[in-house]
Amino acid sequence: MAEAILKIFRGTREGGELAEYRVPVAPGMVVLDALHHVQKHQAPDLALRWNCKAGKCGSCSAEVNGRPRLTCKTRMDALPQDKPITVLPMKAFAVIKDLVTDVSWNYRVNKKIPPFQPRAVTEWKMYQPDIDRVQEFRKCIECFLCQNVCHVLREHGKQEHFGGPRFFVRVAALEMHPLDGLSRTHLLKDQLGLGLCNITKCCTEVCPEGIRITDNAIIPLKERVVDDFYDPWHWLLRKLGKKVSKSVAEH
Amino acid sequence: MDISYHDVLLVGGGGAGLRAAIAAAETNPNLSVAVVSKVYPMRSHTVSAEGGAAGVIKPGDTLDDHAYDTISGGDWLCDQDAVEIFVKEAPEELLRLEHWGCPWSRDPDGRIAVRAFGGMKKMRTWFADDKTGFHLLHTLFQTTLKYNAVTRYDEWFVTRLLVDEGRVQGVVALQLMSGRIQAITAKSVILCTGGCGRVFPFTTNASIKTGDGMALAFQAGTPLKDMEFVQYHPTGLPFTGILITEAARAEGGHLINKNGYRYLQDYNLGTPTPQPVLRNMELGPRDRLSQAFVKEVEKGHTTDTPYGPVVHLDLRHLGEKVINTRLPFVRELCLKYENIDPIKELIPVRPVIHYMMGGVHTDNNGATPLAGLYAAGEVACVSINGANRLGSNSLPELLVFGARAGRAAALAAMEQRTPSEHAISQAQDEKARLEEQFLRKTAGRERVATIRSEMHQAMESGAGIYRNQTSLENAADKLRELRERFRDIGLDDHSLTFNTELLAALELSFMLDVGSAIVESALHRTESRGAHQRTDFAGRDDQNFLAHTLIFRNPDGRIRLEKAPVVITRWPPAERVYGVKPDVKEVAAR
Repeated sequence: MAEAILKIFRGTREGGELAEYRVPVAPGMVVLDALHHVQKHQAPDLALRWNCKAGKCGSCSAEVNGRPRLTCKTRMDALPQDKPITVLPMKAFAVIKDLVTDVSWNYRVNKKIPPFQPRAVTEWKMYQPDIDRVQEFRKCIECFLCQNVCHVLREHGKQEHFGGPRFFVRVAALEMHPLDGLSRTHLLKDQLGLGLCNITKCCTEVCPEGIRITDNAIIPLKERVVDDFYDPWHWLLRKLGKKVSKSVAEH
Repeated sequence: MDISYHDVLLVGGGGAGLRAAIAAAETNPNLSVAVVSKVYPMRSHTVSAEGGAAGVIKPGDTLDDHAYDTISGGDWLCDQDAVEIFVKEAPEELLRLEHWGCPWSRDPDGRIAVRAFGGMKKMRTWFADDKTGFHLLHTLFQTTLKYNAVTRYDEWFVTRLLVDEGRVQGVVALQLMSGRIQAITAKSVILCTGGCGRVFPFTTNASIKTGDGMALAFQAGTPLKDMEFVQYHPTGLPFTGILITEAARAEGGHLINKNGYRYLQDYNLGTPTPQPVLRNMELGPRDRLSQAFVKEVEKGHTTDTPYGPVVHLDLRHLGEKVINTRLPFVRELCLKYENIDPIKELIPVRPVIHYMMGGVHTDNNGATPLAGLYAAGEVACVSINGANRLGSNSLPELLVFGARAGRAAALAAMEQRTPSEHAISQAQDEKARLEEQFLRKTAGRERVATIRSEMHQAMESGAGIYRNQTSLENAADKLRELRERFRDIGLDDHSLTFNTELLAALELSFMLDVGSAIVESALHRTESRGAHQRTDFAGRDDQNFLAHTLIFRNPDGRIRLEKAPVVITRWPPAERVYGVKPDVKEVAAR
C-alpha cells in the first residue's frame, strides 16, 4: 500500500511547529481520513473539527498544500504523491489548537445583519428562477474558506471594518429574496465595508460549493450601494425627501 | 465554580433545538433562553437531510391520508393522537418557515412544489433543492438571531443533568475551547441532541450523533422508549456510508441486483412499472427495502465489493437533465466520493444505519416523566414514527414537536424557582468526577478507539437488520464487558484546550449506555414489527406487543423494562399493504 507523508501544524496560540506523520493511503481516501488515521494511531491529542464528512457541515476547513480546502472533500489521489502534504490551520483566524481556529468573529458579524423581513404581501408566490438565484447564496456551508483567503482579512486584518465574502453572500441571499422588504445597503456601506473589496475573486476560487461570490453577490451589491448612495439622480431625490428604493434598514 | 442562570435551556442546536428556542422566546420575551451545543449550530446534522419535509398542502391530499401513511408505515406502533397533531401542524410549520425566508422549491405557477416519497400514497413532500434540511436549519438559525433573549453556548458539551427535588435544574457543561467546566442552570431543559447512529459502525450519521441526550435522560432515570427500532436507509454509498436520498427513487431510480433484475418485486412490494408509482416497489417503506437487501445477499444475488455486498441504484434512464436539475447533489456526491457518474453508471448501494425511531419518552408536548425535562426531534420518541419512520416525516416532526416543547418548557419555566444549592453542589461533584476519571488519571489501560470499535462490532453483529436471541445476548454481554472496561479508560491527552480525546471518551460512555438500551429493548420484544425483525419470532404479535417498550435505569444501575399502551384513535391495526397491480394508474407525475 502506498504511503503519504503529512506535515501537520501542532501547536497553540503561543506557537507550534510542523510535525511529520506517515499514513497508508487507501483508494478513495480523503485528507480527513488521513488526519483521522494520525489521530487514531499516532497522535490522539491532535485537535481538529469535523462532523458530516460529506461536505455539508463546513467544519473541517484547513490549508492543504497552501490552499484553503475542506479536508473531507480533498482526495489524497488529487495531491502530488511524491511530496509531503502540509496541513495548516486557516491563517486568517487565531489558532486555538493544532487545526482548530477561533471562528467566533464570523458569528459576531452575522449578528449585525437583519434577518429576512417579508414585504407586506398578499400572496406567497415565487417563481423557480428567483428561488434558484437565492438558493445559490443560501448553499453556503459557512466553512469560512472565503474569509480565510480574502486578503482584506488575511493580509490587512480589517476584521473590525469588513464583513468578508461570506457575509456579502448572506446579504445577497436576503436582498435578492423576491419577498424581502428591507434594504441593507447602509449596512453594506458603513458596517460591512463592502467598498474595501477590490474583486480579486480569490473567494470564488476557493468556494467548495461553487458559489460565484464575486460575480453574483458582491458586484450586484456594490451596484446597489452605488445606486443608493452615489447616484446623483437618487441623491437629488433624497434631498427632496423622496424614497428611492426599499425602505432602508435602521442601524 | 462558574454558574450561569437561564430560564429555558436547550441541549443541542440543530433543527429541533433552534425551533424550540424560537418558540420559547416567542412565548415569553422576558425569558432567558440558552442554546448549549457541542458544535456551532450550523454544523448540526439537520444539514444532511436532503429529500424533504412532508406536509399536506395540495388539493386532493388530506390530513387523514398523511396520518394513515404514517401509521401504517410505522406498523401501527405510532400513537395516533400524536400523529393527528403532527399532520395538522406540519403544513403550518412549513409555511412559517417560508415566512422566515426558507426557499422552498416551486411549481411553475409559483406555488410550493411537492415530490413523491417512500411509503406516502400522495405527493406531499416539500423540498428546497436536494438540501432541504440544510436550508431549513439555516433559516431557523438566522431567525434565532432576531431574539436577543437567546444566548448561545457554542462548542460546549453537556456531561450531566442537574436533578434535585424531583426536577431538572440545569446541566453541567464543558467548554471545548478552554476546558472550563461549569454549571448552566435553568428552570426547564429541552434535549434536542438528535439520534445515536454512531453506536453502529456503518451509518449516514455525522460524528456528533452519539446519543448524548438519550444517555443524559437515561442516566437521570428517565425512560427511553422503543429503542429497538433502528432504521436502515436502503441506499447508502459503500465505504463512506454517505446517503443517496430517497428522492432519487422518487424521481424514478431503480434498484437492481447483480442480474440487472428489479428484485423488490419478489418481496411483496408490487410489480415494476416504467414510471414510479407511490407506495410501490422502490417507493415502498425503508424497513421493507432494507430487509429485501438481506434476502438478496442470502440468495447470492448481490455484488461483492471490498466494502461488502451491494446492489445498484440505476438512474441512467432518467437522463442528464433530470439528474442535473432534480438531483444535483446526488450526482456531486457520486462523482466526488465514488468516482461514478450516475448519468452513465450504476451507483453501488447498501443499507446503512440512518435514524432512531426510539428515544426519550415524551408526551405530545415533549414533556418527559421527569419534571422540567423535555425532548424533541430525533432524540425524542413521542411517538409518531412507531416501528418505522417514513422518509420526509422527520423534518416536520422536529418543527412541530420542537415548537411544542419550546412553548411548554417556557410556560413551565415561568412557574419555577431558581436552582437549589444542592443542584449546584452536584455540579461540583461532576467537575471532580471529570477531573479524576479523565484529566488527572494517568494509569488507565484502555483506549477510546479500541472500546469504540469493539462496541461497533457488537452492535452490528448483534442488533442489525435481522436479530435473534443469541445475537442479542452476545451483544448485551459484550456491552456489559465494555462498560466495565471503560472504567479503566486512559487518555493520552490531558490538556484543557480543545481536548478532542476527552470529548470522544465522554461520547463513548454515552454510546455504551444507549447501545445497551437498544439491545435490551430488542431482547424484550419477542415479535417482528417494522424495523425490528427477529428471526426467532417472525410476524407481528398484536396480542402481546401492540405496546411501546420503556426501558429504565434504576438508581442502583440495574435495568428495568415495561410496556406502555399505544394510543389508537381511528385506525385499528391492520396489515401493511404495499405495491400495486399493474392496472392501477396512480402514477407519480414528475
